[in-house]
Amino acid sequence: MARQGSRGGAESKKMSSELFTLTYGALVTQLCKDYENDEDVNKQLDKMGYNIGVRLIEDFLARSNVGRCHDFRETADVIAKVAFKMYLGITPSITNWSPAGDEFSLILENNPLVDFVELPDNHSSLIYSNLLCGVLRGALEMVQMAVDVKFVQDTLKGDGVTEIRMKFIRRIEDNLPAGEE
Amino acid sequence: MAVCIAVIAKENYPLYIKSTPTENELKFHYTVHTSLDVVDEKISAMGKALVDQRELYLGLLYPTEDYKVYGYVTNSKVKFVMVVDSSNTALRDNEIRSMFRKLHNSYTDVICNPFYNPGDQIQSRAFDNMVTSMMVQVC
Repeated sequence: MARQGSRGGAESKKMSSELFTLTYGALVTQLCKDYENDEDVNKQLDKMGYNIGVRLIEDFLARSNVGRCHDFRETADVIAKVAFKMYLGITPSITNWSPAGDEFSLILENNPLVDFVELPDNHSSLIYSNLLCGVLRGALEMVQMAVDVKFVQDTLKGDGVTEIRMKFIRRIEDNLPAGEE
Repeated sequence: MAVCIAVIAKENYPLYIKSTPTENELKFHYTVHTSLDVVDEKISAMGKALVDQRELYLGLLYPTEDYKVYGYVTNSKVKFVMVVDSSNTALRDNEIRSMFRKLHNSYTDVICNPFYNPGDQIQSRAFDNMVTSMMVQVC
C-alpha cells in the first residue's frame, strides 16, 4: 500500500490500508450491481486489472531497478519479493513449482484487499480479488511473457490461505509483419 | 455470560438480536424494546454539550428480577443492549465494558464489509460467532 508521490525519490508515501480496502470494496460491489452475474464481474475485474498491469509495469521497472530475468523462477522471485512488497506491502511465498518449472503458486497469508469482506451467499462464484490476476497478466505481457493467472484458493471461500496459480505459456516474440517468418 | 445481545439502529429498529435460551426469545425482545426508552432517557437527560463528550458505555439501564440490562450507544447513535443473568454476580462492570468494546469493534468490521448495506439486518457469520462466544463463555 505504499505509493510514491514524486517520481525518482526513494521515499514512499503510506496510505491508509482501510481507505484502500474500502475503495476496492466499493469498486467490486458497484460492479456486482452493474452486472447480472458473477462471471461477468470476474471478467470485468480481470480486464481492469489488465489495464492497470500494462501501465504499472512501466512504473515498476522505473522504480525497482530490476534487470532482465533469465528464467521464470527469477520472475517469480521478483513478483513476490519486489512487486507485491512495493504495491501491496505483503510478501507472498512461492511454492508448488511444477516439475517443468513453468508453473508456480503464490501463497498470500493475508490479502489486504479482503480485510472486512465476507462474501454473501448469492455471490458464491465471485472471485473477489480477480483484479490481481489481471494486473499480473497485463504486466508480464508487457515484458514478453504470456501467462495464465488464476485463483485456486481463496480465504473468502473458506480456504486457509489465498493461492494464486501462475502458468507460463510462451514468450511473446516481437511482432513480425504478417506473412514473414 | 450474556443471555441476550441486541444491536439497534439509529432509528430504533433492530439490526441484530440473539438470545439464549431461544425459547424465551419473545420475552427478550420485549426486554430490549423496553430498555430503549431508558437509553433515550439517559441520553436526553444529559445536556447538549455533555452528549458530545459522554462515555459510550451507559452502564446498567435497569435491573429486573432475573436479569440486568446494560446499554452502550455509539457516536452514530447505534445502540447495543446486553441482558445478563442477575445470578451471575461475578460479572464486573469492567468486564461488561470490555464486552461492549469487543462488540463495537466487531460491529465496525461488519460495517466495513463492502457487501453490507448500512441499515440492513446483520447476517455476518463472523459477528454471529463473536456474539455466540460472548454468550457461552461463562455459563
